[in-house]
Parts: sequence; structure tokens; C-alpha cells
Amino acid sequence: MLVKLGSSALRGLDGVLVEVEVDSHKGLPGQSIVGLPDTAVKESRDRVRSAISNSGLEFPPGYFTINLAPGHIRKEGPMYDLPIALGILSSSEQVFLKRAENTIFLGELSLNGEIRPVSGVLPICFSAQQAGTKKVIVCPENADEAALVSDLDVIPVKDLKEAVQYLNGAIDIPAHKVDLQSLFQDQTDYEFDFSEVKGQQHVKRALEIAAAGSHNILLVGPPGSGKTMLAKRISSILPPLSLSEALEITKLYSVTGLLGGGATLITRRPFRSPHHTTSDIGIIGGGRLPRPGEVSLAHLGVLFLDEFPEFEREVLEVLRQPLEDGRVTVSRALASITYPAEFMLVAAMNPCPCGNYTDPIKACTCSPYKVQRYWNKLSGPLLDRIDLHIEVPRLKKEELSSHELSESSKAIRERVMAARQLQEGRFAGTKMHSNARMTPKYLREFCRLERDAEDILKAAILHLKMSGRSYDRTLKVARTIADLEGSLNIKASHIAEATQYRCLAAKGGEYNV
Amino acid sequence: MSQESHNLGIRGEDRACQYLEQRGFKILERNFHSQQGEIDIIAQDGEFLVFIEVKNYSFRSLGSPLGSVRKSKKESIIHAAQTYLYKNHIHDKNCRFDVLAFYRRSDGSYAVEHIKDAFHVS
Repeated sequence: MLVKLGSSALRGLDGVLVEVEVDSHKGLPGQSIVGLPDTAVKESRDRVRSAISNSGLEFPPGYFTINLAPGHIRKEGPMYDLPIALGILSSSEQVFLKRAENTIFLGELSLNGEIRPVSGVLPICFSAQQAGTKKVIVCPENADEAALVSDLDVIPVKDLKEAVQYLNGAIDIPAHKVDLQSLFQDQTDYEFDFSEVKGQQHVKRALEIAAAGSHNILLVGPPGSGKTMLAKRISSILPPLSLSEALEITKLYSVTGLLGGGATLITRRPFRSPHHTTSDIGIIGGGRLPRPGEVSLAHLGVLFLDEFPEFEREVLEVLRQPLEDGRVTVSRALASITYPAEFMLVAAMNPCPCGNYTDPIKACTCSPYKVQRYWNKLSGPLLDRIDLHIEVPRLKKEELSSHELSESSKAIRERVMAARQLQEGRFAGTKMHSNARMTPKYLREFCRLERDAEDILKAAILHLKMSGRSYDRTLKVARTIADLEGSLNIKASHIAEATQYRCLAAKGGEYNV
Repeated sequence: MSQESHNLGIRGEDRACQYLEQRGFKILERNFHSQQGEIDIIAQDGEFLVFIEVKNYSFRSLGSPLGSVRKSKKESIIHAAQTYLYKNHIHDKNCRFDVLAFYRRSDGSYAVEHIKDAFHVS
């Protein structure tokens, strides 16, 4: 007897409908699973057997062939336990699948028959709904996540027995609903606030510009000058997420299995700060079936790389492509998958190995060669892609001992949001979100320079030996500065400020050596 | 295998057949051999065709008798079962593998443990 049930497999951020076919015939007892299953799927054999007998149901005699179609897609993870168990029960007529039309089943079984949560439910449900699925049966822990998808009935069942009773019509389970609007509240209470940072006005200004245009920024300064402290507060001045952005980020975290702790929807921009021992695969993403890396987990948020030159050179170089494209394609033998990676890079570093190179009080103990080698870790092309370079000097003693609170994050955020609103209007109808992502075609259209501004830029090109990319990036930063001021055209002062943030790239990283 | 322990085994299987027959099993075959395996008893239990491995212990062992049916032994039983089905043209019967263990008590009587559906073809 042949039984068919719906389920799904993940391919990147998309779900592919999978049909679980269970065929039984008489003979020696046993079962085999085919259809490119991985180890976790093969192990479901033992879980399903125990789960069925521990749920007060009978494991039917005979030999079972379980096929996960289509056969050319690799099936990963334990989420097929539930459909396999129900298929086996259905072949012995212990369950009837009348209520299972246009339905997908997702769930791992524990040995006592309980259904456990699986990862990737949100992207799977999105794709399934688009493919015409009407109903999804998941465990209660996954129900909130699945219910984020509209026009999909989410039936939460806690164990195998309940699933059987529901399908047999013995009990009714109402579809689970979540209130998207109440989940998606403007959550702007941040742990850190800019008012806690003393002094460093010019750095805060640079960070404000970076946040307003989603520009990449590099902070250079001696130890203890507040680089890390400043960087950690960037989230607090970024504009809140839109609903579609929040869903996009939540999908990424769902695939990675990082959506734990009762969180249903990620409502804040991510802030990722991987340690400098992280590998290039960890940053970009990878694995046999590629999983998102740090650049994708920081999508629409901040990727903070502290101690920038301490990262392996390969790690820094792999950042180049996603910085430019806003997405990253990871190809492996089994699959080639593209993940979004529109992040804002915030890097922090010391000016030399001992850290005191630019310090007016402490003496630097590094030889010029050592300093140069330190800076050589950062290639020209990489520095070229960082829009703003800013020095964070040691705080003066008056600043250190002052008790005055500086401007709060809220005030800065309001200016940032106003600037972003201008950008939204400008890029309405395109795929771009911010000035930093402006394509060359729009660059000419939106970055009109006033006469004297053009003169300054021409001089800067010559003097700073700007590359084509450097030129583009300067224009984009100037555009953001003008947006912050609410100015339609780019004025001389905007260009002047933008060029001063690019002094490092011009020197190709030779920091005054 | 010494003559003595072989006889002990035969007597154990006699005891097993007696036990099974009392419970409505119909004994079809004893000591069925294939090229690579053997089955102690093949019996009919209702709709099931049952392949039975008999174990005899002179003491109460620790743990389940299943533990003493190792992977190679299982494979040999499965192989013999497949041969039996093939030779007798049986295609439409549900089958089962059982383990039947006897423990000798100090007073000479026996305790029985019958594990139904003990293992599967994987």
C-alpha cells in the first residue's frame, strides 16, 4: 500500500516541496529510506519506531520503503520524522489522511512520541505557501514562526498521538495565529546609548554619517580610546527595521537555527562581532550544504570586526565581494546558494602593534617596519571599499573627568531617520535602500555637485590619487552628508567633509610611515 | 562445540518447541541451514511466519538475551530467513524475528523470556 504526505527541504533561503512516499509490503520486517537522505534522516528509522510504540500505537509488520521525492535534492535534518511516522501508521490504517490535503508536516520525533522543533520553518512555510500549500502541521514551539506567513493554517500538535487524533477527526485544533503588528513593535530601547560616551565628537559625527547612509567605517586609535565602546552603540542610532526587512533577517536566522529563546520575529538590526580567529568560511558561509556566514547574519545590520588587522588575511579579502555586491554566493559540490549580505562594516584597529603610534603622551615602541607590516595586512582594495576612515584619539583629561552627558542616541537617530527617509523617497521603486548601495547609473542622477564642490573634488582626485571606486564612494558619502542637512545638491562643504574621511585609502594604508 | 554442549543445545530446542507449541505456534522447521546462516526454529504464529533464535543459559544473565545475539548472528539469521522464503516461494506473509531464552534455576527448572519482534532487517 502506498501513502503520500507533504514535507519540505531547505535550499538556501527557499523551501522545496518534498513528497514523503511510504510503501509497505509483506515480508521480513524492516525499512529503508531513499531519496538522498543524510545521516540525520536515516536515523529517523529508529526514532520513528520507538515513537510509534511509545505513543500507544502499533508499529505495523512488513517491510517499508520510504522515498523522499524529488530524489535529486539532498534531504537534511530530522524534520521528516513526523511525515514518515504518519505514513507508516497510515499504511496500517491507524490514521486516515483526509485532513492532510495540501498540507506539509515538519517535526522531529523524540523517542516518547513528542514532536520537537526544527530549524528553517519560516523560509519553508513562505515557499510552501507560494507553492499552494494551505496547511502546515508543526510542534507548538515552531507555531509562532510558521504563523508569520499569512494565508497558511498552522496546526500546532504536541505529540504523535495528538497528530493522529487530529487527522482522524477525533479532536479539532484551531489554526494558530500571531498578531504581526504587536510582535513588530518599534523596539528602540537599547542597552547602550551614545550619551555614555565622553568626548569624541568628530567620531560620533562620522558614525552618524555612516549610519545615515549605511556606509562602511574604519576606526583607528590607541587602546582605551573608546573604539569598541563607540562601535557597540551604532545599533542604537540605526533606523528601525521595516516589516519586510525583519522577515528577511528572521528567515536567515531560522535557517541557521539561531532563532531560539522564544523569539519569533527579529525586530532589531543584527549586530555581529565575530572574534578575529574566525575562519573565512565562518565569515562568508559554507559547509557541504552551504549555510549563511557572519556577513549574512549581519544582513541589514552591523558587522563589527574588532582588531581588524588581527584577522587572517584571507578572511579580510573574502569580505571584498560581499561588500561590493551586498550578497554572497557560496558554491559547493552539492549546491550553489546565494545569501543576502547587505551589512554595514564597522572595523576597529590600533594604529600600530603596540597601539601608541598616534598617542601624544605614550611613546610607540614599534619599528617603522613593524608598523608597515601591520598596515600591510589591509590591502588597498579593501581600504578602498571602506567609505569612512576616522581616527579615534586618546581622551584628554578634562574630557575624561567631565560628568556632562553627551547627546543621546535618540536625538542622533532622529537625524539619521530623516536622512534615510530622503533616501527612501529617492530610491522608491528600486532595490536600493541606502546611499551606500547606489549603483553608478543613479550616482550621476542623484549626486549633482555645485560648481565649487566640483572644483574641490577635482583637486582631491589629483591630490589623493583617488581610484574610480574611491571617487564613487566619496560622492556617496557626500550625498549622505547633504541628506543629513536636507540639502538637494551637494555643496562644497559636503564634499570637503567626505574627502577628509578618505585620507587612508589615498595613502594605500601607509599610515604616515 | 563439544558433544555435550551440542546435546544441551538440542535439548534446549526441544524445550523451546514444547514451549511454543503450548502457545499455539505451529513448528514448521528446525535447524534450518542456508549457505551462510542458520535458524533454530521456524514456526507459524497466526498470520506471522516467525524465525526463532533459542538461547540457553545456565545462570541468570545480566541484561537482555538480545545482547547476546550479535550483529553477525543477526545477519546469519536474516540470510537464512531470506533463503527459506525464496526456497518455499513465500512472498505474501508477514515475518517476525523472535528470541527465546531459557535460564536454568538452581532447582533444575527453567525461566523463560520470549522477545517478540526482536530485530529487523536494516
